[in-house]
Amino acid sequence: MKSLRQLSVDPSDRGSQRCRLGPGLMSELGLSLGSPLLVSVPGGSCLCTAWPRPDLAEGFLQMDLKCSSPSLISHPPTHLHLDPGQLKPVPCPKLKGVKITVVVQSVDFKKHTPPRLVHELVKDMLKGVHVHETYVINLEDFDTDIRYVVIESINPDSASTGIITSKTGVEIAGIQTVRHYRSQLQDQHTVSLGGLEEVSASLREMLQLPLLYPGTLSSLGVSCPRGVLLVGPPGVGKTLLVHRVVGEVGASLVVVRGPEVVGSRPGESEEKLRAVFERARSAAEEGPCVLFLDELDTLCPKRTGSSAPENRLVAQLLTLMDGIDQSDRFLIVGATNRPDSLDSALRRPGRFDREVIIGAPTLQQRKAILSVLCARMPVCPSVDMAELAQRTTGYVGADLSALCREAAMHAVREISKGSGEQVVRMKHFQDALKLVRPSCLRSSLGRTELSPVSWEQIGGLEEVKLKLRQSIEWPMRYPEAFVRLGLSQPRGVLLYGPPGCAKTTLVRAAASSSRCTFLSVSGADLYSPYVGDSEKALAQLFRQARACAPCILFLDEIDSLIGSRSNSQMPNGVHTRLLSVLLNEMDGVGLKTLERRGTEKILQAEGVEENHTQEQLDHQEVCNKDVMVVAATNRPDCIDSALLRPGRLDHIIYVPPPDQQARLAVLKVCTKSMPVDADVCLEELATKTELYSGADLESLCKEAALMALQEENMEASVIKHTYFLQSLRKMSPSLTAQQIHTYQTPLR
Amino acid sequence: MSKPTVASLHQALRKSFKSLENNQKVWKSALVECSPLMESLGNLAEQSRALSNVQISNTPLRDFPDLEDRLRFKLLQATDTVLGKLNEKMSSLQSARDAISNQVCAVLQLYEQNTDSLDVLTVTERSATTPSIADMLEWLQDAERHYRQQFLRRKTLLQMLRADNLSLLESAPKRWKTLESPSAEDCITDTIYKVSFFMESQ
Repeated sequence: MKSLRQLSVDPSDRGSQRCRLGPGLMSELGLSLGSPLLVSVPGGSCLCTAWPRPDLAEGFLQMDLKCSSPSLISHPPTHLHLDPGQLKPVPCPKLKGVKITVVVQSVDFKKHTPPRLVHELVKDMLKGVHVHETYVINLEDFDTDIRYVVIESINPDSASTGIITSKTGVEIAGIQTVRHYRSQLQDQHTVSLGGLEEVSASLREMLQLPLLYPGTLSSLGVSCPRGVLLVGPPGVGKTLLVHRVVGEVGASLVVVRGPEVVGSRPGESEEKLRAVFERARSAAEEGPCVLFLDELDTLCPKRTGSSAPENRLVAQLLTLMDGIDQSDRFLIVGATNRPDSLDSALRRPGRFDREVIIGAPTLQQRKAILSVLCARMPVCPSVDMAELAQRTTGYVGADLSALCREAAMHAVREISKGSGEQVVRMKHFQDALKLVRPSCLRSSLGRTELSPVSWEQIGGLEEVKLKLRQSIEWPMRYPEAFVRLGLSQPRGVLLYGPPGCAKTTLVRAAASSSRCTFLSVSGADLYSPYVGDSEKALAQLFRQARACAPCILFLDEIDSLIGSRSNSQMPNGVHTRLLSVLLNEMDGVGLKTLERRGTEKILQAEGVEENHTQEQLDHQEVCNKDVMVVAATNRPDCIDSALLRPGRLDHIIYVPPPDQQARLAVLKVCTKSMPVDADVCLEELATKTELYSGADLESLCKEAALMALQEENMEASVIKHTYFLQSLRKMSPSLTAQQIHTYQTPLR
Repeated sequence: MSKPTVASLHQALRKSFKSLENNQKVWKSALVECSPLMESLGNLAEQSRALSNVQISNTPLRDFPDLEDRLRFKLLQATDTVLGKLNEKMSSLQSARDAISNQVCAVLQLYEQNTDSLDVLTVTERSATTPSIADMLEWLQDAERHYRQQFLRRKTLLQMLRADNLSLLESAPKRWKTLESPSAEDCITDTIYKVSFFMESQ
């Protein structure tokens, strides 16, 4: 059979419940004039009466949506191509009774119209209408305040459809306003949310408790909480959470965005705010209601001494929040990412009773978020969510959704080139990881792009490498072994040694192998002409590092950055103050409440062996909460002794100047990319370069290569041994024996 | 193909159109009688508004005892009378509507009883003088729906009036006028013209 094209309904047919078909199709389906017909369209279906088209043409369909499933009210179907199989004749017996909910336009109408009149009007309107259980009857064509009628149940209930006659009893179960009804409809398709179960449960409880057990609360003599403040960095899903919970509870939502309320005339903003509260109050009369103040910090900044217009707005909000009496059953939810800039009067019980802190997601939460995000994407089964979650340290929900979108875009690009099947693979995620960076670290001081360095690229120093791996890489990569042996993760590592002996490169290698966030700061980032600015910047840096934990924080040249209290000329200099910040951050009393992340998980020590990977994730979460500080210096004597005690920089590693074996290894690494002549004897060079540092050796090789170019013009193809010896004669070692001796005396 | 069924249905349709024509006249005349009443209702509302705006104690009329209350009582009484008259008109409108509804229902019922003998081809068959049965049923249904809508809108308007809301009362005549839909009314007149040959062909 031919498919039918849907045209928009004829104006004269509006409100007639007719479905115009070609007469041929009507006789094929065995329909007569006015026979009830159930038309299923994507997203719902509607009940119509069949009628031939005036021009008797086939292949078209026009239907009036007088009686349709609720989802079609907001999204009426247009320009569809329907299959004749989607039209189904249904029997419509005369109904004895029908129970309905009336949806009216305004609150005024609902308040002032006597129920008897509503009943009379509705009964008149519904006469002769074919109805379906749970469907909505559209009465807009009558142009009155009564907009829709929702059929709750019909009698006899043996059939799901029927026709209302003048003898059908109409019972009105309730009256709602259009706004309330529409918000309820919207809630039926909300997005799911990963990793915020605990917060959403507590929010839901606050909303539902006063509604489910109003008697209990009043008998206890307590007032139920009315305000919640959601605090968290941008992108963790504060707004989404509110929408989701409101949808689940079935409450109506009144949203206030800061700039919408602010008006230009004096007093206008306050008036608008009052109107918003009034709206919430009227919505609360029909059911649970949430008044959501998004970006509260713009609406309610700290009041200042002068008579700024914001002060009046803050005062208005305070009085409005106090003015809510117990009979107004609505909840106020505020969301902000800068709780410190809020007026302190707002943050007391009675106004915002409860503060919920949503931190940057932990490993488990990231995994939950990723699986929610990927649930609707065709993801290749080989993509490991746990691994992806591990690699996305410091990513918040918004970042993760951007990541998934980017990965999908990569996949789409690949598909458009005409290769492969339509799935998103791990490769696409890896490409996307390069593009999407964590927003926690955006505009952060220490964010560094580092080119990965492998351990093999550093010649010699095997002992130091092992020690470094022990203290940096092992706790990050094998936390379960540490837990098993009762080891705790070191807080910090100090690398010291003569200059040019690959301290910085060692840290780079450690960072690239441990796969965690890497932040690096220098004096230029921290110092500022303003008093207190540097300390603030350092504290901020630690805060960001903790938000993205596990994280390596690298302080290069720590002696110049921090200094020592004992031998400093100025007792209250910037150095000293920075030092005190660093000491506190590394081993302070505790964390600020605002930095709370995730939930306290109790480690399952033994027994439950059912899910090994799960347990491993647990381990990682327990162990990798901290920030590891790695410092490097070539003047260890200048470092304050308080920094060197265990608990702060626990591991102090000496990076020695290379011995003969190490020098050979360094030379090998340096000449790997150089075309050296066959007669070059690296062993001989290694013995001759006593007291040369790694950097010296590298420069030696470069010098020899340049000399080759100089002597043999640009055509030089190999570097001969003589050039190495010549350049060796020109150079002198940068280290002295005495210098090395001072390093070798123990530090503590 | 059953000639007698078609003939009887045609007969019923003729009867319905006849009744539609008559009732249209009744409806129109009733509406014409309503409009002066609505005007006076608006007038009364205006007078009440004027009364509440004026401070009688500041005018030379202050010597009359209880003047304001008396005037208000008078106005309310007049409003009541006008509304009572309007109610009468509404009931004549309602009877016109009911007559049309009943006729249309009866024809549809007759059709439904005979659906077995009337296939879609028969009901959509039309000629130069006789419109098809489907068309005529459609026109009747449309007319019936029109009168039902009109009546309900007007009834809602009157029922929503409250003595304490003067602005509603004041705007009532204007809103009453906007409810008229000449195009739909013309449509019905057109319909009656369209079936005139059919009516005469019996």
